[in-house]
Amino acid sequence: MAEVGEIIEGCRLPVLRRNQDNEDEWPLAEILSVKDISGRKLFYVHYIDFNKRLDEWVTHERLDLKKIQFPKKEAKTPTKNGLPGSRPGSPEREVPASAQASGKTLPIPVQITLRFNLPKEREAIPGGEPDQPLSSSSCLQPNHRSTKRKVDVVSPATPVPSETAPASVFPQNGSARRAVAAQPGRKRKSNCLGTDEDSQDSSDGIPSAPRMTGSLVSDRSHDDIVTRMKNIECIELGRHRLKPWYFSPYPQELTTLPVLYLCEFCLKYGRSLKCLQRHLTKCDLRHPPGNEIYRKGTISFFEIDGRKNKSYSQNLCLLAKCFLDHKTLYYDTDPFLFYVMTEYDSKGFHIVGYFSKEKESTEDYNVACILTLPPYQRRGYGKLLIEFSYELSKVEGKTGTPEKPLSDLGLLSYRSYWSQTILEILMGLKSESGERPQITINEISEITSIKKEDVISTLQYLNLINYYKGQYILTLSEDIVDGHERAMLKRLLRIDSKCLHFTPKDWSKRGKW
Amino acid sequence: MSKLSFRARALDAAKPLPIYRGKDMPDLNDCVSINRAVPQMPTGMEKEEESEHHLQRAISAQQVFREKKESMVIPVPEAESNVNYYNRLYKGEFKQPKQFIHIQPFNLDNEQPDYDMDSEDETLLNRLNRKMEIKPLQFEIMIDRLEKASSNQLVTLQEAKLLLNEDDYLIKAVYDYWVRKRKNSRGPSLIPQIKQEKRDGSTNNDPYVAFRRRTEKMQTRKNRKNDEASYEKMLKLRREFSRAITILEMIKRREKTKRELLHLTLEVVEKRYHLGDYGGEILNEVKINRSEKELYATPATLHNGNHHKVQECKTKHPHHLSLKEEASDVVRQKKKYPKKPKAEALITSQQPTPETLPVINKSDIKQYDFHSSDDDEFPQVPSPVSEPEEENDPDGPCAFRRRAGCQYYAPRLDQANHSFDNSDLADLDKLRYRHCLTTLTVPRRCIGFARRRIGRGGRIIMDRISTEHDPVLKQIDPEMLNGFSSSSQTVDFSSNFSRTNASNKHCENRLSLSEILSNIRSCRLQCFQPRLLNLQDNDSEECTSRKPGQTVNNKRVSAASVALLNTSKNGISVTGGITEEQFQTHQQQLVQMQRQQLAQLQQKQQSQHSSQQTQPKAQGSCTSDCMSKTLDSASAHFAASAVVSAPVPSRSEVAKEQNTGHNNINGVVQPSGTSKTLYSTSMALSSSPGISAVQLVRTVGHTTTNHLIPALCTSSPQTLPMNNSCLTNAVHLNNVSVVSPVNVHINTRTSAPSPTALKLATVAASMDRVPKVTPSSAISSIARENHEPERLGLNGIAETTVAMEVT
Repeated sequence: MAEVGEIIEGCRLPVLRRNQDNEDEWPLAEILSVKDISGRKLFYVHYIDFNKRLDEWVTHERLDLKKIQFPKKEAKTPTKNGLPGSRPGSPEREVPASAQASGKTLPIPVQITLRFNLPKEREAIPGGEPDQPLSSSSCLQPNHRSTKRKVDVVSPATPVPSETAPASVFPQNGSARRAVAAQPGRKRKSNCLGTDEDSQDSSDGIPSAPRMTGSLVSDRSHDDIVTRMKNIECIELGRHRLKPWYFSPYPQELTTLPVLYLCEFCLKYGRSLKCLQRHLTKCDLRHPPGNEIYRKGTISFFEIDGRKNKSYSQNLCLLAKCFLDHKTLYYDTDPFLFYVMTEYDSKGFHIVGYFSKEKESTEDYNVACILTLPPYQRRGYGKLLIEFSYELSKVEGKTGTPEKPLSDLGLLSYRSYWSQTILEILMGLKSESGERPQITINEISEITSIKKEDVISTLQYLNLINYYKGQYILTLSEDIVDGHERAMLKRLLRIDSKCLHFTPKDWSKRGKW
Repeated sequence: MSKLSFRARALDAAKPLPIYRGKDMPDLNDCVSINRAVPQMPTGMEKEEESEHHLQRAISAQQVFREKKESMVIPVPEAESNVNYYNRLYKGEFKQPKQFIHIQPFNLDNEQPDYDMDSEDETLLNRLNRKMEIKPLQFEIMIDRLEKASSNQLVTLQEAKLLLNEDDYLIKAVYDYWVRKRKNSRGPSLIPQIKQEKRDGSTNNDPYVAFRRRTEKMQTRKNRKNDEASYEKMLKLRREFSRAITILEMIKRREKTKRELLHLTLEVVEKRYHLGDYGGEILNEVKINRSEKELYATPATLHNGNHHKVQECKTKHPHHLSLKEEASDVVRQKKKYPKKPKAEALITSQQPTPETLPVINKSDIKQYDFHSSDDDEFPQVPSPVSEPEEENDPDGPCAFRRRAGCQYYAPRLDQANHSFDNSDLADLDKLRYRHCLTTLTVPRRCIGFARRRIGRGGRIIMDRISTEHDPVLKQIDPEMLNGFSSSSQTVDFSSNFSRTNASNKHCENRLSLSEILSNIRSCRLQCFQPRLLNLQDNDSEECTSRKPGQTVNNKRVSAASVALLNTSKNGISVTGGITEEQFQTHQQQLVQMQRQQLAQLQQKQQSQHSSQQTQPKAQGSCTSDCMSKTLDSASAHFAASAVVSAPVPSRSEVAKEQNTGHNNINGVVQPSGTSKTLYSTSMALSSSPGISAVQLVRTVGHTTTNHLIPALCTSSPQTLPMNNSCLTNAVHLNNVSVVSPVNVHINTRTSAPSPTALKLATVAASMDRVPKVTPSSAISSIARENHEPERLGLNGIAETTVAMEVT
């Protein structure tokens, strides 16, 4: 049984979590960060084998301290970017922090314990505890030291003592944490490559700028503790309040706000409701600032050029990043088109979701990032977005596939779309003159614009491909057919290609994107 | 089917797959394992996340139930979704337009301030509003401007006052407030902005920096080899393009430098003119100090030799009196000689008939060459025309200097022969294509067939060809020819120079053969003035033609062309001053020399040189009507140069020739009594220089004798003491001395209008010359004439300048 004070970053322990069925569970979690507000400690936990979007700040009451595992020096972490064990010590890491510590004066009550990957730091400390990170006794001292350091580090970012304004303490601390974390994170990138399990993604070992094509990061070598933690507490967008799932690089000073206010139409961010109010007196947009290329009923699609309308594109990306883990905002939006799906009501065209698309894709990607905003999720909009993306590909006369990696939700959505689309075709095939209907994979691909590989993987996933009498056949079991029919009954939102007014541009013939 | 003894074929995407449904479905239990043959497609997810609990649960639920169960969905953070003040916030309604919304790209940027007021600002505003009215938007604009004007450094109040067009009190209030607020704010700006990348790369890994510009090296996919190849090709292309740009830049720079050089040269000449540095002493002094050669040498020469010669002689007598004298002289000349040449020039320049004058007018002037003038410079500058100096100085203006790496070719015999062989008049037609019957304006005589071309530096070179008809043609009255061909005649550039000689002109044995005339009627006559062919010197002033000295200057062995001999022979036959045998022997000797040289020469280049070979001939023969003198000296000089340059000189021969030449000349000289003193002095040292000097006077003619003689007198004392007794050199030098006095005369006249000429040159582009002629003619007709070649040269400069500016 460890004390609360001994809990450091990298520790693993069961954390109480309430599941969708309102049942209490104790999944194993890893402490990513610790902060202290008015003497009350909060722990940022990542539930292992759960998506990052469920990471949260918890109080010590929810921690099962009896089962705490302190980080091992070379511990393998189940999370791919797990900090413990994956980083060799770096002597320099301690230097900036301690340098910062000197000469800083901060009210003592602000006890902010901000630790990330303490074991590594401990290793790095000359004369520090060499390699007994597991013993609780050895943990104490580093903890103490680190506490002191963190307090100091906070000071530059939080000139106003946080205890005086408890409401704002939390965000302020948050920013302080990030400010500190950024430094080691940078180091980590170069340090971790050798042991990072995922290092095949960055096999060239060059931790420089990420690739310039695409919109998603498959190479997590740029990941650091800052980007692993949500930084925006809440976003207000039109009628909705959104709880971000992931880090998003909104201006750092805004990350301390309890609520970030976004203009529903231009997506500009403001620090307060008053600011938003003022903004709305000046902003007369009532729809995304692009050309409407599709309208059926209340659903419309707007096309926005990432080069021509930078500010909207950037604002959209910042918002989307809150919900897309692998999205990268490293580079500008120039090579992308943004297709924003809106729902119209008397107030205007409200953004429901969007997908971005490279103007020229070298890999047949027809979607870069795709997102249905949380308030609209699980209502078929995602599939509508996907369907629309394939409609565009059909107009272009190409097959396409979404950029990888897919998220869990992305995979489910795409699989569902592919399954339904392919099954629709297969079941629609009529036998001609008593012959058994047949179709090639290429034909399916052509009809649907779904890339061949995706067709095959879907057929496989649905277990439709079988080998029979020396040839491959497709088998549609009743189970499958029934399931499909039920699903299609629920799928009411469809894209009507007649309502699409879209002429593809040949971007390769343009000088710029 | 119990056991799989075969391997399933790979799934072929192009092969039709039969679809089995429901009851049709075969029993596949045995075949299940075969499915492995179908390659497993990756999900496209990251491995770590693929194993996530909720996803796996959802996937398996889907597999089992074929549809999503509510409890099996992947949980996401939930947030309340009802903002009750929404309607108050987003006021008004928006009616959906019937048409699809089409946005105008430029409507997006409105002038609204980016700064949005917050409640803190509102308090300030309320407070301020008690004293004065300030609207929120107004306030926002102020803050916006302040923010955007300041980076890390805040704008000062003074700057703020400039920035904000408001009441001072208000500015002060808002400014103070803004400074305070900004100090308290955590962000870098009151307008929250995405962190920008920094160029130093320090922000490469800053997670808060977003939307970096894609300027770095494009990364291609690792598995795309051809991408990389084409990328590299693009890089290479880019490199090469940038190299091309560099080259173009350098060319641009070079041409600019050239232009600058021209302007500098002009300036130098003007300066020198004003300084009276006609002899180039000042220039020399300056130049010796800096031992640089070409670049600095060129400016002086650019101005063509006219100036130089003038200067050289002038410095001997730098009194302005002479200038005036000459000026008056000019006037006199003008009276004496009606404006015929001038008129001709005007006519021809106005309407140059294309067939006859293919090359002359503009193109020749354009062919301005810097390097050629370098060569000129060398002999010119150190030689203030004193004969003895030159003798001592091997680099003297007239000395032959082999240029390193330069091969000198003998004239081609075959061509010369060819012309001799064609005895038929019909052959005149052939000749006509390249050579046309040519007359010189001054001295007025026909020189037979010649061709005019443009030499380096815009010099006009006459290539003469010798035919059997030469003796006849020589006798033709140029006036007669003019009668039918005048309008088509060429610009007489240098008529002014030769003016002085015109007094002498008298075509003595003119055989006006009407039959020949009628035959050649179709031929175009050109009134050219031959110029020095040699690259080396200062020619254009000397091109006044009748001086055999020019040929002396010629460095080339080719000067010893048979053709030249032939013409000179003709001349002799006319005047009877020199026996034919003498020339025959000489000619034979020269032919021998030529053959020896020919053996060494490459055949391919002969064609080029043949034209050059003809030049000396032209010069030699184009001398004025004082045929005997000029021809003598020409041949003598020729022999001399041949001796000097040819490997097999025969001294006695040369000497003999010269002697005959002297004799001849002496006879001629005697009449012009004014030059006797000169003659005697020069004779004291060596016979030939004196003779030549006298001869010069004679050639210069009656009109100019007055002032020429003083010039000669002054120049000769200096030169004579140093005179060498070597005959060949003497001849050589004589010729030079002949040249210079004449030039004195000419140049003194030409120098007067030169400022205007310079102006004209600079102003004038490549327009036709006639308009330019008129302004200068206002000064004086003769001056204009004198001035013309110079101006043309300048025009040439101007033209080249224009051309360079284009680049």
